Amino acid sequence: MKIFIKILLVLFLLIQRQDSLFAQFTFFNPKESFAIEVSLPNSDLKRLPIYRNSISSMIVTGDYIIGGTSANEGLTPFVFTASLKQQQVVEVIDFNLVIPGQQAIPTGFCRGNNSTFYAGTLANKKAGGAEGDGHLFNAEIGQEGTISIKDLGIPIPGEGIISLTLDSEKKILYGVSYPSGLFFKFVIDTREIKTYKNIAVTDKQKELYKEYEQGPQNYLCKSLIQADGLIFGSMPVNTIFYFDTKTESFNIMKDIPEVWGRRTMGQIESWARSANGEIYGGNAGDGQLFEIDPVTKNLRNLGKPIGMNRLRGLAFGDDGKLYGIAGSKPGYSHLFSYDEKEGFVDFGNPEFKMTAHGIEQGILWRGFQFGTLASSEDGKYIVMGEDESLSQLLIFAVGSKNEPRVGE
Amino acid sequence: MEFFKIGDKFIINMKKILSYFFVPGKSPGKSIVVLLLLISIIAHIELKGQGKAITKKNITFIDYPDFPEAHSTWGSIGYNAKYNSVFIGVTNHHDKVGFYEYNASLQEMKLKGFINDLGYLRPYQWQAKIHSKIIFGADGTAYFTTDGGESREEYLMDHPQGYVGGFFMKWNPATSMMTNLGMAMPYESLKDIEIDPATNTLYAITYPQAHFIVYNPAKNDLLDLGRLSSSHVPRVLFTDWWGNCYYVDWRQRLVKYEKEKGCLVFDKNSLPAFEGTPGAKIITGITAFAKDEKNKIIYILTYGAKILAFHPQKEGIGSVEDLGGVADTGNQPEWGPYVPNLNFGNNGNLYYFVGGHGNYIKKDTGVLMEFNPNTKIRKIIYEFSSEELAEATGSDIKDKDGNLYFAGRCAGNEEGNSTVQPKAFMIKFNPEKEVQK
Repeated sequence: MKIFIKILLVLFLLIQRQDSLFAQFTFFNPKESFAIEVSLPNSDLKRLPIYRNSISSMIVTGDYIIGGTSANEGLTPFVFTASLKQQQVVEVIDFNLVIPGQQAIPTGFCRGNNSTFYAGTLANKKAGGAEGDGHLFNAEIGQEGTISIKDLGIPIPGEGIISLTLDSEKKILYGVSYPSGLFFKFVIDTREIKTYKNIAVTDKQKELYKEYEQGPQNYLCKSLIQADGLIFGSMPVNTIFYFDTKTESFNIMKDIPEVWGRRTMGQIESWARSANGEIYGGNAGDGQLFEIDPVTKNLRNLGKPIGMNRLRGLAFGDDGKLYGIAGSKPGYSHLFSYDEKEGFVDFGNPEFKMTAHGIEQGILWRGFQFGTLASSEDGKYIVMGEDESLSQLLIFAVGSKNEPRVGE
Repeated sequence: MEFFKIGDKFIINMKKILSYFFVPGKSPGKSIVVLLLLISIIAHIELKGQGKAITKKNITFIDYPDFPEAHSTWGSIGYNAKYNSVFIGVTNHHDKVGFYEYNASLQEMKLKGFINDLGYLRPYQWQAKIHSKIIFGADGTAYFTTDGGESREEYLMDHPQGYVGGFFMKWNPATSMMTNLGMAMPYESLKDIEIDPATNTLYAITYPQAHFIVYNPAKNDLLDLGRLSSSHVPRVLFTDWWGNCYYVDWRQRLVKYEKEKGCLVFDKNSLPAFEGTPGAKIITGITAFAKDEKNKIIYILTYGAKILAFHPQKEGIGSVEDLGGVADTGNQPEWGPYVPNLNFGNNGNLYYFVGGHGNYIKKDTGVLMEFNPNTKIRKIIYEFSSEELAEATGSDIKDKDGNLYFAGRCAGNEEGNSTVQPKAFMIKFNPEKEVQK
């Protein structure tokens, strides 16, 4: 009889457990994940000053995260390196001391040979208000995370560079200029430049965008990816193209997956390629993730990870999952993962522990606005760079166990 | 302890005096009369210098009329020198905020209206709290900000129900007119406000993204100076004598908006903290402040339970003195006590209630402390059960008669078996004299 009562009691407690009122959100803060303090005004530590540190370009090489920033108008950016092992910034270069007058490094870094990485810039406006001249440059990363920057010149006077990709075998850079949206080819060794008007915004399109209060940042191709001699990107209005590097021809492919009524917002702002060659893209306008078969060019809309627009970064982890950042102002960025089996998993705003000299006990840093995302070469880390007035790095250790903290 | 010090001094004085008047072999005569007079004068001086004993007659709790749902107040209190009145925002902690005025001259508490009506807000523009101070321009105009401040704003991420708020509000006491001055950022609350009385420039901090806002209502110019803090947003802004505004960054370093240069200045050093203060306490910064205008000192309390004396300077960040902890915590960590309130008495002492948010130095007991910043001696004046007083908020609220005000609330107990319902009331306290409701 006593055993029977005990069983009844256990069953009763289990039923109570199932009726849990758990509803409050929790923060995604796996134990091995961490934040690195990159920005801190008035400090003797290697840190970036306010309004010049929005992390808009990022790549990871070995132990080092390489970051390129964007500054507020009239101010100038930085290039920095941070160590994953040391969990701190190791080198900071004031870009204005190398190439003056630049405002942003928006292109991401293209991986070249011998620890050399390529990127492009947007310049501050010239005196009188004319568009500044964006530069191409390379950054050589030393064994200890040191940075050496070399100016490769101005590919198109009066234009900045908004996106870039590299054919590392042929040592050719392909990019899109700002604000005209000219496609260009730049041979690194000879500095030979060739421009194409095929994907540039037309006057008629500019009129259309003006009607919707949209500027070049909203419609130009923000991200390019190179796959087997084809370069994929987006062009006005809401269209995907690819450029065949062999034939030097443009192919208008498909519409970007859209939600009714948001066609003018269609713009690809992130790409990633899986180990088996599939290409994944993110649409800024509505935040959809889509997949392109590079052989058949078939496109599949995989849907939206969260309710907001924007998809500002994509990269694969060593668990084979695609990680990305979805959403942006006026909401918050979310970290998400995607794979065929699980579909989308939304991790919300990451909140990781930041430890540094002076805050040895560690403080929790919640990431609200991310500008970019990259994975380490071994796929063990997903690195997110903030887009804030004081931006930091948040690093998710792939596969580490989440120990959620209830939000308050 | 204090009593014995007074007693020792008195006995020494008496011995000296007696040696003058009682010469051996001589008749006391008129000396006795003179002596008695002197004794009474000395005793009067001694008592005046030490102050009268503080009794329960020095404190009173004042209810908010015509709002049975009055649940709580969250720092939403301020003193209007022009009208000698205290303004308070009282909330049902859901969607209704009563705006009250306590006329200190008439000793009268009145509901001026509910902010959703006064500010012409629609139902979808519900505001759960005024979380900011209520501050005043030189002409007596009141300003405050509103806050989403409850589950549907804080815990339903990305606002599926669309929080529309974080309003700047203006109240004209002469005409009883509320003006909605608009929002700072979409979907963000405004946790605190400050003012430069010389220019009527308003400063505010948003929640949860901790953006520092500078707003000129006359020109409708709003500057978002960006994110300054971490996961748990510091709630307190304060200004100095020149109208510069202060906040803290995630390292608990003072951040100053220097109004003449129109830029932010960051202190190099963090505010003092007890060893072992957890990061969660550090990032939340300052909980309350009170100003000693005469000596140009701003007293600050931190989330890590430190009392600091800040000496601001017009340019750059001034110096900070560490005055110690807010309370004797026994074998508990010194950084533990929670003190979201502070007032500076005319007697030169600081007064604050310790407790709240389930964080007490004595179980389920809110205590009022007195702290002498010169001697650094602190003592408990009153103890209240949490069913009487669980938590008090408010910074630097003193009327022209030296009465100090706090926004108080009572709650249940730690076990959660109390039948007492949370209720808000105003606390009026004067360390030097009895107070009336």
